[in-house]
Amino acid sequence: MASRLQTSALAAYVIVFCFVLLWQVGSCVAEEQPSECLDCHRLRNVNSNEGVVSSQLFCYGCHNEAPTAHADFRASKVSLQVKPEYFLKSAHRFVACTQCHTSVAQSPHRNVSGVQCSGCHPKIGGSPGTHAEHQRVRCEACHTDSPFVVLNVASNEVKLSRTNAKQVPISLAKHKATDVTGEEFCTRCHISNNQVGAPTMVLPSKSFVCLACHYSPLRMGNPVFLIAVIISIMGIIGMVAFWFRASVQGEVASVHRKIQLGSEVVWAKIFSREIFSILKTIFFDILLQRRILASGVSRWLIHSLIFYSFFARFALSLLTLLLQNLSPEGERTLILVNKDSSFVAAFNDLTGVFILVGVTWAIVRRYITKPDYVSTEEQDIVALVIIGLVTFSGFILEGIRFHTAHIPPEVALSAFAGYVISKLFSVVHVGWQSIYGYMWYVHALLWALFIAYLPFGKLRHIITTPLSLLLGYKKE
Amino acid sequence: MHDRTVEQEVYWRFSVLQRVVHLVVMFAFIGVGLTGFSIAFSSVGSAQTFVWFLGGIDSVRYLHRFCAVVLYLCVVAEILWVLYFKFLLRGNLLGPNSICFGVRDIKFFREHIGYLLGLRKAPPPFYRFTYWEKLDYWTLFLGMQSMALTGLFLWFPEFFSRFFPGIFINLAQVLHFDEAILAVLYKFFIHTTVRHLRPEVYPGDWVIFTGKVTKETMMRAHPGEWASLNAVQQGSAIADK
Repeated sequence: MASRLQTSALAAYVIVFCFVLLWQVGSCVAEEQPSECLDCHRLRNVNSNEGVVSSQLFCYGCHNEAPTAHADFRASKVSLQVKPEYFLKSAHRFVACTQCHTSVAQSPHRNVSGVQCSGCHPKIGGSPGTHAEHQRVRCEACHTDSPFVVLNVASNEVKLSRTNAKQVPISLAKHKATDVTGEEFCTRCHISNNQVGAPTMVLPSKSFVCLACHYSPLRMGNPVFLIAVIISIMGIIGMVAFWFRASVQGEVASVHRKIQLGSEVVWAKIFSREIFSILKTIFFDILLQRRILASGVSRWLIHSLIFYSFFARFALSLLTLLLQNLSPEGERTLILVNKDSSFVAAFNDLTGVFILVGVTWAIVRRYITKPDYVSTEEQDIVALVIIGLVTFSGFILEGIRFHTAHIPPEVALSAFAGYVISKLFSVVHVGWQSIYGYMWYVHALLWALFIAYLPFGKLRHIITTPLSLLLGYKKE
Repeated sequence: MHDRTVEQEVYWRFSVLQRVVHLVVMFAFIGVGLTGFSIAFSSVGSAQTFVWFLGGIDSVRYLHRFCAVVLYLCVVAEILWVLYFKFLLRGNLLGPNSICFGVRDIKFFREHIGYLLGLRKAPPPFYRFTYWEKLDYWTLFLGMQSMALTGLFLWFPEFFSRFFPGIFINLAQVLHFDEAILAVLYKFFIHTTVRHLRPEVYPGDWVIFTGKVTKETMMRAHPGEWASLNAVQQGSAIADK
């Protein structure tokens, strides 16, 4: 028994000894392996600080040295030296080089696709209003401090120039970001006679009131819009206050009591079977405009050309705004935000043409053919002229933009009306880049006028007609 | 079944504003809860399905913040109403019909517990709001403040870490999560049970949606208020014509 135990212990000892011996030998062999291959062909975990630093150090191996870090460009040597002490002060100090320069880790070692920001930053992020207007401008053209930019007509892209104004090659390896809190950096493109097709003026962001027709961010924008919105709100408050001067369910004195009684009636209607009659009114009388159709087909057509076009544009811009917030990187979002994408361009031009046709038809009917059944007031012409001019100036703007920005015909053709106008403008050689800014303000001021005028003149019917239809719906 | 031929005497309990605020809070709270927990428990399969259904994590984050802003706007509406009530309507904020706690509530609480234990024959004469209704209101109203504060820390960490050490962001995350669980448990279990599953109102108390209660309910559930109303004969309303 004892000898069997001894034999087993001895066997176990031998097995453990052999295992430890093999382990040691294996480790020695592994240590003696040449480690140069792994230096390059190791996939670093750039999601860890260790991986980022290791990856950066690897690139610094060449790019920290002035003699080795250069590229040949137009027969001259351009520095590609990145100084660590400089880069370590940047916002990207904890990011590996290959996370932005995604195409460089290959043989032959060259930068094929340029720097890629969209892996981390959404394309229309941060300041969506500004970014949506600059979709063909590469991020680094604004966000790095090199002041020289160039338009590549073939790829329809504005990017950093590799030469300065005197066509001498320059280094772009500084990695210094532009301060985008001011507007000074805008003047690298927005100056007179620039070559990238930008308007001379630095124009403000669109306002939320522009959502009626265009995608725009939820911000006030120019102070003119603030004034217009305040006037409009005051007008609406005045209008509602006027309504509440009448008695509500017998109450004549207390406004508080009138609101209380009125809201009680509305609540009771919404939560009753009558809601179906109300929905029917909304669908047939407000959405399908049944009552206008009853008073004449041409009247319905004119009104629908204007109403449905605005309605569709408003719906599309709301959808775009929603998608931009829900999924800023989404494929559909990027198509809808881009006003030069074929769908949005064609949609905008088609609805714009409809509005213009509707307005022109209405003016012709009211002031030229004058049928007996049309009664015209002075305020009718004000509303029609504002809507017509807003739309017309929009087309002018589009035409100037296509012409000055050298938008390629295959892109511009989707906006069929704007493209034709741009061809007309190309015949006349005047300072279109400067005119664009003034025209933009004309378009914006006309829309601000529309907003401010909304509760006062003919346009008030946008609020009052649906309300009076709802109040006078038929119980069924 | 109520006898519909006889017009019932009804009392207004909640104004349209209060009903609207309750409806909006209800949906926004459910929205915040669903989106928030699908972010917090992102490894759970059903949460992933829900996130996919809403269009990805960006969408869910946006909707969570959207609902949260709507929820807080209701708090702002309540505060504006209090100011209007106090300074324009010259109302009394601490009267017997107030939602604020008073010394009376301690007495009512003691008497109510006594009634529940069988030591008293009748429940105390509650006024407009009972102590558990007040608790319902104030847990949400005060909870909203801390949820909003910690939520803002998580929404704008760069801004807040300019003034506070980074540990505050972690702290905000823990507190936001813990209080979310507390709030959801409270609202979905205690609030729902106390309001809707009591034998008197089962299967649901509709007063917050219709705004009115019958005379019998008034006499049974709010005898204090009923007595004070009938003393001067005001506030009763005829059924909606």
